[in-house]
Formats: sequence, structure tokens, C-alpha cells
Amino acid sequence: MFGLKGRIKGHEIADYRQRFRLIFAIVLIAMSLLILRLWYLQVIKGSELRQRSESNSVRLRKINPLRGMILDNGGHVLVDNQTSFDLVYIPNRPEDKKQVISKLTELYASRSWKIPDEFSAIAKAHPFIPSKIDRNISREKLALIETHSLELPGVAIEVVPIRKYVAGEMIAHIVGYVSEVSQDELERSKGARSPGDMVGKTGIERYYDAYLRGKNGAEQVEVNALGKAVRSLGRINPVAGCNLVLTIDAYLQEVAWKAMAGKSGAVVAMDPRDGSIYAMVSSPGFDPNLFNGGISTENWNLLSRDPQHPMEQRAISGQYPPGSTYKLIVAAAALEEGLISPESSILCTGSFDFGTRSYRCWQKHGHGMVNLHRAIVESCDVYFYVLGKKLGVDRIAWYAKKFGFGAVTGIDLPREKAGVIPTSEWKLARFKKPWQAGETISVSIGQGFNSVTPLQLAVAYSALANGGTVYRPQIVKKIEATDGRLIKAMKPEKQETVPMSSKTTALLKQGLWGVVNEPRGTGGALRRAEMDVCGKTGTAQVVGLPASEKARRAMQSARIYQDHALFTCFAPCRNPEITVAVIVEHGGHGGSAAAPVARKVIDAYYKKKKYGDKMPAEEEEKLEEASRNRSTSGEGRRRRASGNQDE
Amino acid sequence: MRFDRRLILNFDWTLLILVLILCTIGVLNIFSASYSFAGAKANPFYIRQLQWVLIGIFCMSIAFCIDYRFICQYAYVLHGIAIFCLVIVFFYGFATHGSQRWISLGSFSLQPSELVKLTLILALAKYFDEHKLEQGYYLRELWIPFLLLLVPFLMILEQPDLGTGLILLFVSASMFLFVGIRLKSLLYVLTLAVFMMPVGWFFMKEYQRERVLTFLNPERDPLGSGYHIIQSMIAIGSGGILGKGFLKGTQTQLQFLPEQQTDFVFSVFAEEWGFLGGGILILLFTSLVLWSLKIALHSRDFLGTLIAFGLASLLFWEVFINTGMVLGMMPVVGIPLPFLSYGGSAVVSLLTCIGLLLNVSMRRYILQP
Repeated sequence: MFGLKGRIKGHEIADYRQRFRLIFAIVLIAMSLLILRLWYLQVIKGSELRQRSESNSVRLRKINPLRGMILDNGGHVLVDNQTSFDLVYIPNRPEDKKQVISKLTELYASRSWKIPDEFSAIAKAHPFIPSKIDRNISREKLALIETHSLELPGVAIEVVPIRKYVAGEMIAHIVGYVSEVSQDELERSKGARSPGDMVGKTGIERYYDAYLRGKNGAEQVEVNALGKAVRSLGRINPVAGCNLVLTIDAYLQEVAWKAMAGKSGAVVAMDPRDGSIYAMVSSPGFDPNLFNGGISTENWNLLSRDPQHPMEQRAISGQYPPGSTYKLIVAAAALEEGLISPESSILCTGSFDFGTRSYRCWQKHGHGMVNLHRAIVESCDVYFYVLGKKLGVDRIAWYAKKFGFGAVTGIDLPREKAGVIPTSEWKLARFKKPWQAGETISVSIGQGFNSVTPLQLAVAYSALANGGTVYRPQIVKKIEATDGRLIKAMKPEKQETVPMSSKTTALLKQGLWGVVNEPRGTGGALRRAEMDVCGKTGTAQVVGLPASEKARRAMQSARIYQDHALFTCFAPCRNPEITVAVIVEHGGHGGSAAAPVARKVIDAYYKKKKYGDKMPAEEEEKLEEASRNRSTSGEGRRRRASGNQDE
Repeated sequence: MRFDRRLILNFDWTLLILVLILCTIGVLNIFSASYSFAGAKANPFYIRQLQWVLIGIFCMSIAFCIDYRFICQYAYVLHGIAIFCLVIVFFYGFATHGSQRWISLGSFSLQPSELVKLTLILALAKYFDEHKLEQGYYLRELWIPFLLLLVPFLMILEQPDLGTGLILLFVSASMFLFVGIRLKSLLYVLTLAVFMMPVGWFFMKEYQRERVLTFLNPERDPLGSGYHIIQSMIAIGSGGILGKGFLKGTQTQLQFLPEQQTDFVFSVFAEEWGFLGGGILILLFTSLVLWSLKIALHSRDFLGTLIAFGLASLLFWEVFINTGMVLGMMPVVGIPLPFLSYGGSAVVSLLTCIGLLLNVSMRRYILQP
């Protein structure tokens, strides 16, 4: 088969036998060396090493690094670190356990301190494995434990850095919080993290965890029989994490947060020129400092069971019907598709009959003849019912998606939701039912299946403001090392360009300007002396309302059936610098509930722009505000006073 | 291919049984090493290792069924494929512990550097068999074998995986010396190696320099590799003559040992089974290496001798370097202990090697004049 080629000839075998004898000898010698070494370790030094394994007096102690700080765009510290003293128990001798538990319980009881749940875990503790039994203890506790340390073998105080959320509640949803790494995360990290590490759980703390985290240090220490460190045998210093500079302006954030006091909903303020987020508020909030050193079960239950869901980041994961704010998208689509001319008018009689149903306009008595401009200014529903019917749901959806709806915006925060922009295909896939023409009517005024996040609304209106560019919203401006060295500077990222002619943009902007600044406009609350704000109100129905007037009244009186109030705006009209989107849950009407919040943010933006960090005192502020109020036309106030509904 | 009854008569049961004993010890030992933290895990390490052994035995039976001379006709192609896999790792692989050595194949991952060990031996065997020189080689006649070694060697160093790189180097060096190099050429290489050392130092990764320095002076780094060595020696030494008993090794169960189911698996065994167990294990490995050398000696052609010798040297160096490291005689380099360390790619490729040894062994009498 393979012939005789390559076979070993007689004289060669002798030669190779020689070689093999040598190789056999080498292998035997090498292996004997291993056995000799094994004999040396196990038999000669065996008892000594056995003792060392039993006391194992050498401990590897982890040194936690400082997490990076988080600053606003003006360099104000939002998140810092502070020192926490934790109580650690390392069981050296099992027979000590009972004594330690009883002594600790006695000490705590004597001062009537709450006894932590972890005390009961001491009994089950594995030898030599340290476990935390109390966190972030007070100076008083610290002193008491230290004075009784001789009666508490194995109990030690560990000094660890923990977070200090300086800005507190107002920025909780953006920065998120940290807590100890979970078993699941440990396994997934494949050795990159060790037990006891702090990791970001939500918000920026989570998204930028890799930068903020830093690197663990370690120290090898020799301990005595009581488990106290006697001397250090070597140390690797930890490396502190990077600092993050946000695009957030702490002042705007605070103003927006205060404006939302007592309301639930969200505010997003951003720069339409590059997608930087100035402020992002979700209300109600929570105090992230509660999570420092582990949140108590009590507090956790309070937060997680609150029907208002204070932990939810409404700005990016709250999904609401866009209501009338969506009409601009429909208008843009109709203009670009050449279905309407700006001048052509439609008669609004207060309702629109389609199929067997009659669709109401918010203005019961009708708007009369309306063209595009009037329809936007007065938010006429019937006008957009007609546009929607002409466009069809799929064409509306195509434009809406160009504006960034129906997909996550890609902001650098975790757990963003995409919302829903319905298409006929989507409905078939989701409900196994074909699209009904009547549903298009609801969709064209932002009701029906439509849902968007407040952030998406701000991004879409930024695109309207800047002439059609959809930017990826960003919340971190740059990442710096602790010594101030620049690690990474974020650049604006264009995600999509809306196919919108400059003529269309101009027409829509005129409409938005009119909403705020023209008589009968629904957004009069934003009418500043400078007459420079463009905006749109929206009122989103939470539930389909019964047709009978009486039943409607009854339902609307209950808070949870109240409409969501929306307002989106940008300013100044020419070359806009700021976009604001506001949603007040169950707030009622966009013009009266959401617009005042937006007004405060816009005013604060201009005030900050004028004075920078040197804000005038409160009194001057009030004076100025008074003069401003005088100058706004009486129209808006009269309207509001007469209880005229905006939509 | 014509079936020959002598294939069955000459089947090497000794080798097979030796290897199966080692695999059994390996699985039991991994069970113990991961016992304390296996807990609620659905798919513990020892089960996965057992699955790998079974897959390995399947590959082994393929490897001994096909005549090794037939396999070796494609040695260069196989080596090329293995190197190509390394290229894939270089661009698309994923990293663990800061080193990129894995390709993901759906539910499991492959470590091509394990494959290269095998194909390099086949390729070198093929080359030396076809270019046989009675009086030993000059350097200029060795450039092809050098190339066969150098390409995967550099790529593996880049991953970085110093351990596997060293194994490739030692196995090739053993084969070069075995076929014979002219004394003058050998001196050239040695001189060159001495001069290359500073250059190599320059190219080393930071952690590799640390390890060499730590080996030269363990006090330098009592936290990193130094700590590992100290804990490993405490574990082994505390085992004493008879050991602490299965699942009773305190160092192991309290997880003072680093990488206790992979590189430091010998410490686990020695702690629980003592000098008696550890000694027997080393004797088993010695028998395995000597038996493989015997197969090399008795092969009926030079190709078989070269393959068997290459595989024997692979087993020898892995056992010697790993055990030496764990016993604190050598610097810490990541080399697994054959059949005992946890690792799918390693077990499968090692059992394939055994298949080749069985292959050479059972065909020793065919066509013998």
C-alpha cells in the first residue's frame, strides 16, 4: 500500500536505540526530581505547611478603588464619594461564633440599636471567608465595637468608599445608583469582578460602569488568632475610576425638577444642534443615597411598591400616546408627499364622519374653515383626520420613524424603551388582524396604538427645529482621568435625516410659532416678551371615552382617567438652541398643565445664558418676572381664566 | 483499505487503560475542586469535563482507525487549517482573563492553540520523514521546519498565551534534537538564543515580565503569582503522606487556591491524596511518557517513530512544566496538566493524540519484513 519507503534499516535501529536510552534516562531523572520535590513538601515540610494551612494567617485583602465622580457641564459635582465603616466578621475558630453573636447582640441591645439581619448569618459563616455584618455604621457604633474588640474575635472594621449623591433626588434617574455585585453578574463577568465589588445598577452608574469602576487593589496581611491584621506583607494600590462630565446643566435640572414637584411625568431639555441633554427629569423621584451601603428592606419595599413607581425613569422608558404633538409629523408627511397645499382649507364642523363612526374635534362647535397654519395653531383635529385618511397609516409611520419614533434613540443610558409606531404589518403580526381604516383616523392625531417616550418627543422636535437632522441624544460630554487627562470626548452623532424641504420646515415652524404667539393659539403660556418660542400642546387620552357626555364627565373626574398633558417647544425660533418636551401624567390639558413647566425651563435657560453662574438674588428675579408678565399679552390669561379648554 | 486481523491483535490495551485511569482521576478531581462552589449550578464542571472526555474518546477512535501514513499525507493542510483558526481567533475570537484565545462555535468555544500542538507534530514528522539525513541537519536545511513552528508560535504569543507558546517551542526543539542537528549549527542557535533574550524581554507583555521576575524572586510579588505559589505549596505540603481525603482539602474547599480546576489542579489532588496519591499520579504520567517512547522505538517506519516521539515529548513537557510550576520549581505559566485540568479543547486534542499513538502502536507489525 505505502511500499517499503521510510522503513528503518538495521544499522539505524542500533543508532536510535542509543538515542532512546538517553531519552528514557532524561525522562526518568526529570520525573524523579518532581517526586523528590513532592517528598520534600509533603513529608519533610508537611507538618509545618499543615499548620500554616490550618491557621492560614496570611490573608489577601481587597482594597476598593474610589469610583469616578460625576460632574455637570459646568463642573459642579453631582456625585462624589464618602467613607463608610463596615463591620466584617471572619470566623477563625468555630467555637468563637456563639460568643461573638451574643456579645454583639448585647452591645446593640444596650444602646437599643436595630439588630441587623446579617447577625444570624454568623452562625452559618464558613471559616476564613469574611462576611459583612453591618454597613455604614455610625461613629458611636464604631467606638463601641473598638472598645470591646478583645471580646469580639474575628470582628473587624473595614473602611470602604461609598457613593455620595450630592445632587440627590433631582438627578436620581440619570445617575442611577450602585450596589454590591450580584451572584449572577459575578458569573457573567468571567473573573473581571470579585465578590463585594460595587457595580452600577441603573442610569449612568450602570451604563458607564466600566469607566467609573476603577481597578481593585489588594493587600496581603498577616493576622493574629483574633483575626486582627498584624502586619502588611505587600500592597497593590487601587486605581480610581474616571470622572464623567455630563451635558446636564445642574441649574436647569433643578428648575425642571422643582417645576414638576407634586406631579408625575417627565421633562427633557436638549440642544437641537448636537443632541446634548441639558436636563432630564422623571417625577416622582427617589433618593439614591438610600442605596448607600445597601438599601434596607423597609426602604426598598416603600420604593418598589409605590403605585407611582418613583424608580421608573419616565423620560426614556415611559411610553405615552403623543397626542396632538404628533400632528406636526402628519403635517410634514402630507406636505412632503404633496397631498396638501398650505393654503387649502377644510371645514371643521366639530366632528368627522368616517364609516359608521363619528370622530370628534376637541372644539365641540368646530373651527370653521381652517388651513394648515390655523389647524396647527388651534390644533384642529378634523383637519388632521382628513390628512391621515389621505396619507394612510403606513406613510405616516414611515415619516414618524424618520423622526426617530418607534425605535430607541440610542441615548447613553440603560433600559430605554422604543415606543410603538403602528403600521398595517405591525398590527397583523401583533394581533393577527388586518388594519382598520378607522384606526388611521385615531393615529393621525397621535392616539390609538401610538406610543412615544418623552425623549423621543424631544429628539423629533429638535429635528423639526434644526431642519431635519435626528441626533443621537447624549448625556455624557467627556470622560476624564482623575488627574484631569482627557480619556474620551463625545462627538455629536447624526442618526437620520428627515427628508423635509426647507419650505416644509419653514411652514411647520411658522405654525409652531403661531401656537405660542398668535391669538387663539393653544400654547400661550410660553408667550415671552421676546416672542421667540415655538411649541405645540398635546393632550393624550388615557382611555377611550364613552360617547355619552354624562358618562364622560363621571370618568374624567377620577384622576387615573385624566388625560396626560404634553408640551414640546424650542427656542429661539431662528437657530434654535434648546428643545423642551414635557409630559405631565393625568395633568389634563397640555396648555395649562405641561406648558408652564416648559416655560420655567425656557426662562431658566435664558437666565443662565445671561448671568452664567452669577445668578441675581431672588428679589431681583421676582421684579423681573413681574415686568415680564405685564408684557405678555392678555389673551392667554383671559383664555385660561375663562376655562376655555385648549383641545 | 484492506482490513488486517493483526490490527486487533496488536491493539495497545496498556496505553488505553493508562489513559482511561488518568481521565477518571481527572473527572473525580474536578468534582472535588469545584465542589464547594458548584452549589446550585445546573451544569457543573465535572459533568462538562465528562462530556468532553466522551467526545475525546470518539475523536480518539477516529484517529486510530485511519492509517497514520494516510493522515500524514495531509499534515501540511491540517497544520494550515489550524493556523487559519488562529487567524480567526486573532480577528474574531473572544477573550477571557485578558487573553484572546477562543473561537465561539455556538454553544461551546474552541481553543485552536490546542489543535496546533497536534498538527505541528504531524507536519514536522512529515517533513523530517521526507527529508531524512543520516548525519544531522545544518541550519539552512531546517528553514521549513522553523517556519512551521514560527508562524503559530508568534501568533500564540500575541494572544498572549506564553504557556502554549513554550510547549510548541519545547516540543519542536525535542524533535529537532531527536532527528539530529550538527553540533556547529546547534551552537549557532544557542548563541543566537542567548542574544535574543533581551530582545524577547522587550517583546514580552507586562504580566509575563512580572512572572519571570517573580519566579526569580518570589518575595517581589506576594500578592499576584507569588501568592498563588505560596498557597499552592501550602496546599500540597499540608496534604502530608496520606492526604486529607477526598473533598476534605481545606485549601481547596476554602478556595485559597487560584485556578483550582485548571492550572493548579495538581495541588488539589496532592492536598487530598497526599504524597501517596501525588507520587502514584506522577508515576502514572511517567509510565505514559515511557510507553509512548516505547511505541516510538518499536514503530516499523520512521514516520511513526517521529509522530510517537513528538507526542511523547508533548506529554512529557506538559506534565513536567505544570507539575514543576505547581510545586514551586518553575515560574507560573499557564500550562494545563494533561487529562486532569478542566478544559474541553485540551482534553479532546489530547485524546486525539492518544488515538494517534494507538494508531502507530497497532500498525507496528504490518509489512515488517
